[in-house]
Amino acid sequence: MSAVETQEGLAAAFPARPRTTGGLWEREVLGRVWRFFTSIRLALILILMIAAAVMAGTLIDQVPASVIANPAAYDSWLQAAHSKYGVWAGVFDFTQLFNVFHSLWFRILIGLLTANIIVCSVNRWKGIWKTVFHTRTRMGDAFFQHARFNAAMTAQMPVSTAAERVHKALSHARYRVATQADDSSVAIFADRNRFSRFGTFLSHLSIVMILAGTVIGGIWGFSDDSFIVSEGAIQDVGHGTGLSVGLSHFTDEYYLQGPPKDYSSELVIYDKGVEVKSGTVHVNSPLSYKGISFHQAFFGQTAVMEVKDANGASIFSAGVPLAWQSLNGGRPIGSFTLPAKNETVYVTGPASGQTDPTIPAGEMQVEVYQSGGTLVSSGNVTQGVAKDLAGLNFTFVRESRFTGLKVVKDPGVNLIWIAAILMVIGLAMLFYFPTKRIWAICRQRPDGTADVRLATTAERDLSQTKEFENMRERVKLALGISGEGDDRKEGGAHV
Amino acid sequence: MYELSQYAFVAAFAALALAVCLYVVNVVGARGLSRMSLAGGGSMSTSSLGPTLDAAGRYATILTVNSFAFLSACLVFRAIASGHGPFSNMYEFSLAFSWGALVLYLYFEVQYRLRSLALLVLPVALGMMAYATTVPSDIEPLVPALQNNTLLTVHVAVAILAYGAFALAFGAAVLYLFQRRDTIRWLPRAVVLDEIGHKAVMVGFPAMALTIILGALWADIAWGTYWSWDPKETASLVTWLIYGGYLHARVIRGWRGSRSASLLILGFGATMFTYYGNLFFGGLHSYG
Repeated sequence: MSAVETQEGLAAAFPARPRTTGGLWEREVLGRVWRFFTSIRLALILILMIAAAVMAGTLIDQVPASVIANPAAYDSWLQAAHSKYGVWAGVFDFTQLFNVFHSLWFRILIGLLTANIIVCSVNRWKGIWKTVFHTRTRMGDAFFQHARFNAAMTAQMPVSTAAERVHKALSHARYRVATQADDSSVAIFADRNRFSRFGTFLSHLSIVMILAGTVIGGIWGFSDDSFIVSEGAIQDVGHGTGLSVGLSHFTDEYYLQGPPKDYSSELVIYDKGVEVKSGTVHVNSPLSYKGISFHQAFFGQTAVMEVKDANGASIFSAGVPLAWQSLNGGRPIGSFTLPAKNETVYVTGPASGQTDPTIPAGEMQVEVYQSGGTLVSSGNVTQGVAKDLAGLNFTFVRESRFTGLKVVKDPGVNLIWIAAILMVIGLAMLFYFPTKRIWAICRQRPDGTADVRLATTAERDLSQTKEFENMRERVKLALGISGEGDDRKEGGAHV
Repeated sequence: MYELSQYAFVAAFAALALAVCLYVVNVVGARGLSRMSLAGGGSMSTSSLGPTLDAAGRYATILTVNSFAFLSACLVFRAIASGHGPFSNMYEFSLAFSWGALVLYLYFEVQYRLRSLALLVLPVALGMMAYATTVPSDIEPLVPALQNNTLLTVHVAVAILAYGAFALAFGAAVLYLFQRRDTIRWLPRAVVLDEIGHKAVMVGFPAMALTIILGALWADIAWGTYWSWDPKETASLVTWLIYGGYLHARVIRGWRGSRSASLLILGFGATMFTYYGNLFFGGLHSYG
């Protein structure tokens, strides 16, 4: 993609106009905008700015999305950031450097790059189409003299024989060869991998497709990072899916040395209450149903609790996943509500891996809060032993497990994988199978010998030095020219 | 198998260390030679030194090939012993990185018949091996997240290809900056160094794209999200962007030559940051 080529394409698209007149004003403005986005220099600046932004987002702590959603949590996060970054925290907060990847300016940069890619692709389409399908076979003398890589040689044979041999040498090197003869000369054009030129469109447009995929996923998808189901329970997925998930069993296995070997959840998926699918989810093998996938994310302890009211009627009987950590002591903690009583009950388990003086093993601490947040009553409940608290009768039935799943719907992801494949194909075409082109002309000399010239274009983005040398040697060999003797002039083709 | 792998590693390390010394003798000696012939004197020592230097160069190449063979054996034995590719810890990945740098270096030495790149590229490979000796080499069983052998093996294979190529481009770029006006007789010409840097990026850039894509595919399967702005992900994206910038810079007037070469050096900085980034940051990639 040379700057010169871009400029030419531009000139063709927007021929210079002497002065703007009223009616042409819009076209003029549009032309200027278009011109701005055809610049490869703009592409470089944007790429480097985005790289710098991504680097900043790597080096500076980024606010988690869950914290952003909650102003109070963000304030306390910012407090912590202040102690780490000092006065810079204010600057980073103001410039959105704590949230680079969701900031307005980062999106603007991405938007500009997208426009840049689209405009450049449109701009170059015609030119590349022409080079792939309609290349001139016969080039003028000036080309053979001034091309970046050129060579001239004399063959001791009639021009038709020389041309035939050059043709053969190029074909042997797996070039596609075209010839055009006139009275005293034969022009030859040969190329390889000509379709690789289209790789530039594949690789650039795949970036636009990936960005489109992320937008589609953002609009029509959802992601629930903490979907929790206790063993034996069934939980609604929500998000308008009509699905619910039941956990039959959670298993965690460990190697003898201690590290984890496997986490797996046996799941049953229900669609509007009807069982539609079941299977076991492992960390590297999710379960999906109708575009919604379930991934193993975490797990923990569940306390199966039963609550009876003063009349002995059961008002709650279910597993309470202790999925959070208490701030003091790091104990597993969970909660449930009693709508009839307008109360919330917190259940806290013993801290793991140590003897907990407050909550011994085999017990759960139960705290009953009124809706306003006032503690009504609290106490420890021993497994299998009913206990009266706040006028209710609590039983800690038994311990079991819950699984934490990540539930994802991302309708953009398939577009992203298609784009990824196109990108790899495009880049492989451009860099592993680059287009190679070479022109030759064989002219009759008065003494009956043939004047053979080779040349190829100066394409800075394809290293052609070695390839050109290689082809020159093949042609020489075919023409029976040995060594450097017959070379009258050479371009900058020496390594 | 594990012991065999360790022995092969020691052999590869020793061979490479010796090779680097001989390359230094070869290249720096050539420098001395070019100075002497410039001065016009010392014809006696010049004639006796020349063949010695050539021999040093030849042995350096032979040793590098040996180091490469030993390192290959080391990786194969280890893969047999562990039952998976070299992706489970920094030890394995460091060896793989060295292997990538050696492959790419040898390919370019043969292609361009020049040894001066060894001065910059092979110390990187040697440094990686030296680093590997400082981290635990035990084979540990795979944690659940890493139990995706095929995908992760290919992911690492293309990653080391990319990293090796970027190391080579780095070497060529540094030499280019010294040689930009073709003033140093014992170094390859600037135009050749420029081409080597570009060729290396042509190998590495698509490989890096595939590395990121396969990483995203794995993340999507294991974590349910193809991209989570994890430090390792972002660092690899920065690396890819810098080389993407280089490929564009190379065709812009005013950016050819030295500025492009500087981008290659910056890009290799980002590569090393990508590689070691997880030592400073947490994230999903904290095992290597």
